[in-house]
Amino acid sequence: MMRGVGTLVLSLFLVEGCARESRNFRLDPPIAASLDAVAPMPNRIGGAAPETDTVLGQPYLTNAYNLNQGKQLYTWFNCQGCHADGGGATGPAFLSGWWRYGPQAVSVFISIRDGRPEGMPAFGNRLTTEQIWQLTGYVRTIGAYSAQTAAPSRNDAMQSRPSENRAPATVATPSDEWPTAPSR
Amino acid sequence: MANRTLPLTLPIALLCSGCTGWQSVLDPHAIQASRLEQLIWLFVAVCGVVWVTVTVVLVMALLRRKTPYSHTDTRMTRIVRAAVIATVVIITGLAIVSFYATRGLSSSDATALEIRVRGYQWWWEVTYLDARADQVFITANEIHVPVGRTVSLQLAAADVIHSFWVPNLTGKQDLIPGRDNTLSFTPREIGVYRGQCAEFCGLQHAHMALLVVVESAGAFEHWRQGQLAPAATPRGGEQETGKHLFESKACASCHNIQGGTASGTVGPDLTHVASRRYIASGLLETNRGSIAAWVADPQTLKPGNNMPRVALDASELNALSAYLAALQ
Amino acid sequence: MLLAPRLRIRRGVSPNLDQVKHVGTLAPAVLLGLCLQSSAVLATSAGPNADEPKSPAMSVDPATRSSSLAQIDRHNVNQLEPVFTFRTGRLGAQGSAPLIRGDKLLVLSAFPHTLFAIGLARSNGTLSWQFSPTANRVADGLHCCDRTHLGPVAVGDRIYFSTLDGHVVAVDAEHDTPVWDVAVADPGQGETLASAPTAAAAELIVGNAGDDYGARGWIAALDRATGRTLWKHYSTGPDQDVGISADFKPAGPRDQGSHSWPGTAWQHGGGSVSGWISYDPRLQLVFHDTGPPAPWNPDPRPGDNRWTSGVFARDARTGEARWFVGLHPHALFPWRNGSANLLLDHTWEGAPRALLVHPDADGRLYVIDRQTGKILAADSYISYPRVARRASAEQTPRTNVQVRDVCPAWPGALGGDAALDQTTGRLYLPVSRLCMDLEGRSANYLQGTAFIGANVRVTSSNESDGAVVAWDVISRRAVWSIRERFPVASDVLVTAGGLVFYGTLDGRLKAVDAQSGTPLWQFGTSAPITGQPTTFVGPDGRQYVAVVAGASGPYGLAQQAWIDRRDATAARGLARVIANVGRPRDPSGTLYVFGLP
Repeated sequence: MMRGVGTLVLSLFLVEGCARESRNFRLDPPIAASLDAVAPMPNRIGGAAPETDTVLGQPYLTNAYNLNQGKQLYTWFNCQGCHADGGGATGPAFLSGWWRYGPQAVSVFISIRDGRPEGMPAFGNRLTTEQIWQLTGYVRTIGAYSAQTAAPSRNDAMQSRPSENRAPATVATPSDEWPTAPSR
Repeated sequence: MANRTLPLTLPIALLCSGCTGWQSVLDPHAIQASRLEQLIWLFVAVCGVVWVTVTVVLVMALLRRKTPYSHTDTRMTRIVRAAVIATVVIITGLAIVSFYATRGLSSSDATALEIRVRGYQWWWEVTYLDARADQVFITANEIHVPVGRTVSLQLAAADVIHSFWVPNLTGKQDLIPGRDNTLSFTPREIGVYRGQCAEFCGLQHAHMALLVVVESAGAFEHWRQGQLAPAATPRGGEQETGKHLFESKACASCHNIQGGTASGTVGPDLTHVASRRYIASGLLETNRGSIAAWVADPQTLKPGNNMPRVALDASELNALSAYLAALQ
Repeated sequence: MLLAPRLRIRRGVSPNLDQVKHVGTLAPAVLLGLCLQSSAVLATSAGPNADEPKSPAMSVDPATRSSSLAQIDRHNVNQLEPVFTFRTGRLGAQGSAPLIRGDKLLVLSAFPHTLFAIGLARSNGTLSWQFSPTANRVADGLHCCDRTHLGPVAVGDRIYFSTLDGHVVAVDAEHDTPVWDVAVADPGQGETLASAPTAAAAELIVGNAGDDYGARGWIAALDRATGRTLWKHYSTGPDQDVGISADFKPAGPRDQGSHSWPGTAWQHGGGSVSGWISYDPRLQLVFHDTGPPAPWNPDPRPGDNRWTSGVFARDARTGEARWFVGLHPHALFPWRNGSANLLLDHTWEGAPRALLVHPDADGRLYVIDRQTGKILAADSYISYPRVARRASAEQTPRTNVQVRDVCPAWPGALGGDAALDQTTGRLYLPVSRLCMDLEGRSANYLQGTAFIGANVRVTSSNESDGAVVAWDVISRRAVWSIRERFPVASDVLVTAGGLVFYGTLDGRLKAVDAQSGTPLWQFGTSAPITGQPTTFVGPDGRQYVAVVAGASGPYGLAQQAWIDRRDATAARGLARVIANVGRPRDPSGTLYVFGLP
């Protein structure tokens, strides 16, 4: 009897382990179009995410497949040239937990899609909305300072920093090292 | 008559069809594939004989009447000894033959045509190398070679392990990231041969096919000159619009078309996409309709591949497919 | 008298970004008219300024970075002390040198630029006027790794400077008004400017920067009066674009600039002309470097990649190429040049020869015949830390393959512009002894974004990453060398007083004996010194030494506040190397003027 129960419990665990996260390769076109409909604040920092993103459960922040695609896109579209692997160069770092335009995913999305006035190029006409969301999710994983439910896989390339799946990946930068705003 | 012979002819026909065709190991069209085919038949023959012998002996052993053990011990020892010696001899012989056959597969030939094949998920980038830089060109998923000339492939991978396998021409060789492998073959007959990726590489591993077109030296040179030329100038308003769309939308971020401003290197080079027999790595035959279908919705045709669905309306799709279908 | 009775250090007023503005709070009425036609700090010709009349306030010869002033010499330099400072309040790349003009000192701030004129007639350097051209902030994202020396330069009664976002601006010095402002480089294509225009013959010559962004290199001549482009030649492409005609040496096949590249890769092939352009008025030639090819990963660009990574000699009037020396065909490593070529007329192996001294980023000093382009010497001026191996052909970077311990690292062995003392034939080189690991990645070309194709980690020796080397050009050997803890990223100044001035990344301006290399004086400033120290004679007839402290160039990038050093590839691999320098006490560009008491 006990052995039967034990077998049942074990098989339930095994069955549970077979379930994998769902991957949506093809968004319905109206949904894909609606993902572009962010409602930014007037200063374009922060704002409301598209309704479909919330309804779908924020798939670009929580789905490992999307984060992995974001990681691939990060290399393909020259993000590393200005942001390195999150350490920054011409562009600011993502690792440090300091976000110039705020940590909200919507702000990062707007930065990538529309560019920012001091050197960030606009990628809105160079990438699809879904790709920009995948990049947004990945960028926020680099600078995550709390444990995430999903993470992209490790680098095959040169591993230059702590991997994204070591959560929390960063310790927030102490305030006396925050960059001072440039004077105008 | 037909009723009685049909059950017999059908399996025979099926069996024989496995021996020919454009993706068959048993239909060699290159020197290396011939050697491998001979090796296969040798193994099949030897192993077949061994199998038959063993089965006969087994059946005999099962059907024999039991006799009291008299001098069976000595006989058994002799039989076992003979079997062991025979096994060792056969296996050693096969190993030696196999060694010489596979060693002959890679030949270093100074006059070989050098081609670099880089495997991506899930397509093949083909770069024709040359000592003169301006004779170097890049294409995708289709390799043309002149008949009778040794081709030396430098195999590289961009992301995960793939494997290059064109059964009519030569054996498999892996494409391993960070490592350079080589593979060479010398095609003997003109024809078109299909190959595919032979190492599981992800979602669309099954749809990662390529074509090797073996043609005469003159036809090859003509093709090569065509590939070196920049892309065909668009003719007519629709193609002009298509070119403009290609360069202003997301297409140019991933694809390269020589002679325009699109210089992306993430996806296949499309300078002469319409000159290839298939698109999407052997998925669809190249024509305007299939190009339009692919551009409109790549994720339904090849789910999980890295080409996103770019939102286009009907007139844009028409213009774009007209432009791409004209890039001979 | 420039100095008040007791030493006072005053800060300049914080600048505004309005247009030309006169600030006269403490100074008297703005001085109108300049009585002295002084030749400029970064003026134009080789040797004594042939175009402009000589002036007693003559300062630094831009062709050799040497000064004939000898008031401050090895005996009294240890008494050198700061006279005043002026804080520009601007963060960002600050590499430009101050320019003395009459009794004003002109300083160009980091981008977005403001040109400050600091009056010297009254004590303590008060802001006299300032001018800010409109700035295209897109260029903020394009400025990575070139050392910026954007000016100003003075020619006649006009002041010219380049801006990071691709403009050349002319300002009338007497009336403090802008005269013209032309856009020559397009930041949308990844182009910026990193050098002030050079005055040659009757025109201004300027070259672009941006080979990290796939910009095609070019050099152009502008009309001094109107700013109109007179001619423009490229570093890659067909002979017609490059300016190669029949009398070009070395003679070779046609259109090498496009045939040594696959397909149309030359259209974004790099080869920028971001460094100082030298002018020889006697031969009527200009000499300039072309930068490394794009992308850094050599895999996508088989072939010799003409005409990148070499030195061009061009006719000063027409821009036609006379000769080219290809120092790194199919450059495997992205060493960037852009440090000045120095002109030296000397006997070489018995015969008098016109020489071009070219300290290269690969750690070798090339001596080239200026007339024919023949390489006469190529000697290594640098030694590397114990673990390093020299870059060689066996270590070929390819996609997905890492090469380790390549020396020098990508910023090059030369950290700044060298100085040449023409009387002794000695060259003073600021050296960086860093090495790097490089991994090739696939490079995708997107206009206006970085086109690199490489992951880089730079390694430090943790003992001595830099040096200043005194090299005897004619006898081809090092005379002395000073080891520095950090890479020496400033330009060098040599004076007739027997002094060599240079600055370090931890903010010290140092003076050493030119003869022996003995350190004589140093001063700690508030920011890394990566610019050109300069010296001039003030209106009171006394000699001063000035430098603008502020981080520029690749090392400056690594010290920006937003870099996170947990990523070994941050700031193109330099972040960890510079970690020990620490953040600057005051990252804003600040002018320091020193004088004898």
